[in-house]
Formats: sequence, C-alpha cells, structure tokens
Amino acid sequence: MDNFQFEVREMTKAYNGKKVLDIAHLTIKKGRIYGMMGPNGAGKTTLLYILSLLLPPTSGKIYFEGVDTYKVNQYSLRQKMTLILQNPLLFNTTVEGNIAYGLRVRGVEEEEQKKRVKECLKLVGLDSFEKRRAKELSGGEIQRVAIARALALNPMVLLLDEPTANVDRGSVALLEKILKELNQRFKITVILATHDINQAYRISDEVIYLFEGKIARSPLENLYRGRVIKDKDIFLFDTGKIQISILPERDEVNHISIPPEDIIVSIKPISTSARNSFSGKIFHVSDGGNSIRLGVDVGEKLWVKVTKKSFQEMRLNLGSQVYLTFKSSSVEAY
Amino acid sequence: MEYILEGIRQAVRLIFSLDREIFSIVLFSLKISTISIFLSSLAGVPVGFIIGTNEFLGKKLLVTIFNTLMAFPTVVVGLLVYSFISRQGPLGPLGLLFTPQAMVIGQFILATPIIVALTISATQGIDPRVKLTAMTLGASPLRTVTTILSEARFALTAAVIAGFGRVIAEVGCAMMVGGNIRGYTRTMTTAIALETSKGEFGFGLSLGLILLAVAFSVNILLHWLQLRKS
Repeated sequence: MDNFQFEVREMTKAYNGKKVLDIAHLTIKKGRIYGMMGPNGAGKTTLLYILSLLLPPTSGKIYFEGVDTYKVNQYSLRQKMTLILQNPLLFNTTVEGNIAYGLRVRGVEEEEQKKRVKECLKLVGLDSFEKRRAKELSGGEIQRVAIARALALNPMVLLLDEPTANVDRGSVALLEKILKELNQRFKITVILATHDINQAYRISDEVIYLFEGKIARSPLENLYRGRVIKDKDIFLFDTGKIQISILPERDEVNHISIPPEDIIVSIKPISTSARNSFSGKIFHVSDGGNSIRLGVDVGEKLWVKVTKKSFQEMRLNLGSQVYLTFKSSSVEAY
Repeated sequence: MEYILEGIRQAVRLIFSLDREIFSIVLFSLKISTISIFLSSLAGVPVGFIIGTNEFLGKKLLVTIFNTLMAFPTVVVGLLVYSFISRQGPLGPLGLLFTPQAMVIGQFILATPIIVALTISATQGIDPRVKLTAMTLGASPLRTVTTILSEARFALTAAVIAGFGRVIAEVGCAMMVGGNIRGYTRTMTTAIALETSKGEFGFGLSLGLILLAVAFSVNILLHWLQLRKS
C-alpha cells in the first residue's frame, strides 16, 4: 500500500450524465515514470485533473499514498504534486514572479526563492530570464518557464499533460532528459500524457493506455474501427479491408485491438490453432529499445514486435514478405 | 462676455490664493467620495467576483439588473435614501438626515452597482487556467481567489475609478440627503449649484475648474490603465 503514489478504485467521472472516465482499478507506484497514452477524448486530461485533485470524481475513490483524498484537506495534498497544463499559463508578471509563486505560497524565504528560481531557469536553459515579462515570451519559452515553475516546487509527483505537443524537437529532448534525471535523482513519480507512442516507450517505465475512458490492457497499437459479422458460430470483425476472427462477443463492438506482442512473425505460413493469419510486406522498421518494431501492411497496417535476435536470424528488412499469426483470444474488443 | 471673463479671472485668483473655503470644500468632497468608494469596493468586488466566476440560475438576470443600476438616476437614489432616513422614515431615529454619513450611504448605493457590474465583466474575462494554475502550484483557496483578482487587477482598478468618477461628480443625491450645509456637508457639486444661483459666478467657476481637473485626472488614469492592459 505504501508503495503506491496513487490508487484509484471504482472511479467514474461524468459530465452532464455522460461518462468520460470509468476506471475500476489503477495503481501508480512511487518513483516511476508513467506514460499515459490514448486518442483524443480518451480522458487523459480529465484523469490528470482528477489525480491532481483539481476535479472531483463523480464516484469512487482516489488514494494518495494510502490516504483517502476525500477525507483530508486537499490543498495540503495538492502541495505535494504539480501538474503542467497542456497549454501552460503564466501569470501576468515577471518570469521570476511566476517561478517563485509556488514557493511564496509555501512560505519559502525570499533568499531561497531567488536561489531556486535561478537554479530552475538554468535547468531549462533560460539563464538570466528572471526579469523578463511573461507576456514577452515565445511559446517555447512559456513552456520551459512552466516546467521550471513546476520543478522549483520539488514535487513528489509531477504530472504533465502533453508537454511536448507544441514544442520543437530540441525542447522535447531536453524535457525528456530533465524528467529522467529528476526521476533518478529525487525519485519523483512522473505521469506524462502523450500522443507520441515512441516518447511513451522511450521515457516511461510503464505505459497506461486509456481508451474511451477505460484503462486498456495494453497500448492499443493495432486499433481498428469496424463491425462484427456473425457467420453461424464464427465471429468476424470487418474493418472494411480485412476480416479478423474474434471470440464471441457482445453485439455492439466498434473497435478491436491486437497487442503487438501477441502476434507471431514468420517467413513461411505456419499451421497452428490460431485462427488469424495474414501475409504482407514490412513497410516500417524501428528500434524500440529491447526489441524491433515492425510495421506490416496486410491490407490494414499491423504493428508487431520481434526481438533483435530473431530480427537478425530471420534476415528481415524493409519490403520483406512475412506472415503474421495470432489467436482470436488475443483480439480485444471494445 | 465681460461677465464670464471676470468670473474666470476671479476663479483663477481664488484657486491660486488657496482660498480656505474652496479647499475645505474640495477636501470634503474627496474625503466623502473616497470613503464611499472604499466601502463600495469592499462590497462590490467580492459580489462581482462571485457572480462573475460562478454559473447559476438567474445569473443573466442579475447581471442585467446590475448593468441597469449603473445608470440609476442620482436624484432617485437621493429620494430613496431620504425616505428612509428622514424623521418619519424607518431609520429616522438615527438622525442621519443632512449628515456626511447620509451622503456616504447615497454614494455607496450609486457606486456599488458600477463596481459590481464592472467586476463581473473583469472576472468573467479571466482565463480559467489562472485558477487551475494557482491550484496546481499549491495555492490555498483564498490565495487562488487573490491570484485571480490580481490577474484582473487592471480591469478592477478601472472599475473602482469609474465608480469614483460617478460619485465625485454627482449632485442630486448629495444635495438631497446632505443638505448642502456650509462647512459640514457642502461638496464641490452642491456648492457650484448654490453659488451659481446666488450669482457668485467666480466662486462656482473655480470649484467647477477643480472638479473638472479631478474628473479629468481620473479619466486619464483610466485611459492609461486600459492602455497598459492591452
């Protein structure tokens, strides 16, 4: 229990009666970096707001370090964490005034404030920006000041809502470096919502995938829209381009996904009990850390993972013809 | 024409000789209006803030009422206050009629709707991220409110100045409930009305010039604040 930074239980959030979040159980362990992924409208921002105690859930419980957040003064808990909004806002004052704000709120002495401001500006590469007016800054600079402002607080938890959506590549790399460093040096917990699957895997220890307000078992990389066709006792999901065999499911299935690690890659067709087998050409190869990510066009674009070893042994390359095989039970329906 | 020029000459003489009567009237006007505006701000800013930053049933109606009250005729306010504090009125026993306190009450009623209405529009225009940002940085609920007000500071100052401009220049209410008693409840505007009708044109004109200067300064300040805001 003490190990958890957050624990979410049976939590829902609804706006005007429409459920936008429905999370049965989610735990965030201390000192780890989490990437939160999901398409637009999946509820990423709402979940970040609820974890940051900016919004109350409609039902259910949020525990912060084992403490029921509903039962204590939320503002004292809020001081232990901070969220960087997707489009950060700087108060209409100087850069220094902005970064020192959270320190003043916490009663930090002025000398110490100045020192922290200087340190944090240096960390984000904006030395001697103290006296600049917030209004005179560019978009990228605003983003960096917002990060410095958050770091100045020495938070136990840092939540970020797509911090790299509107910044240049250099800033992205810098931010990722800072996050890793902070996480390693101070053991702070980081939760980062992102669109960028590569970023999610690059920096996080764990990836949370949100889809239509629910936690999905794994990142829905191979996500398709379509409808179910029933043929006697066989259930097929028609994406419009290919038909994928699925387990008997409830009728209103609009989306399916296939976890990339459940897909077997072979050069020749293999005979197994798996009901799905497709062939196609590799159109994408990239390094995914411990494994190689392949994109295979089988009518739909499917993403799969293979180990580096098998990638070399099978002598795969761009344009190679491969067979992809997976079980109906690997297909997740939504 | 000679008559007007003579008046102006006399007015300038009175102003530059620092005529005691004139300056006690000016000081009294400034004092009454400042007290009224202070009290109006104390009531009007929080009310405007609450209306401006919350959504509730009847909000539109309330905003319309305050907007309408901004143009409340001063003599009607005078009449209203008079009816309450005159001897036969419900507050008659307090003996407020023809006192500076009565004038403050009248000016309070005149200025508060202006401050409320302008505070509503000032806080409505504030980015919702201000509140969220303050909260993410660990601000207490009170600190969050003062941060929002601070972000609206230029518009709020403009609201207060607009209220001040209204009460310093109004004559109807001050005359009716203050009674224009020399050395006690005489303001610039009531003095101008009286002295001019008495034929003391120069005296009236000198006060008129000072009042104009005050009103002008207030407007310049307002304009300057709006420039800074943009």
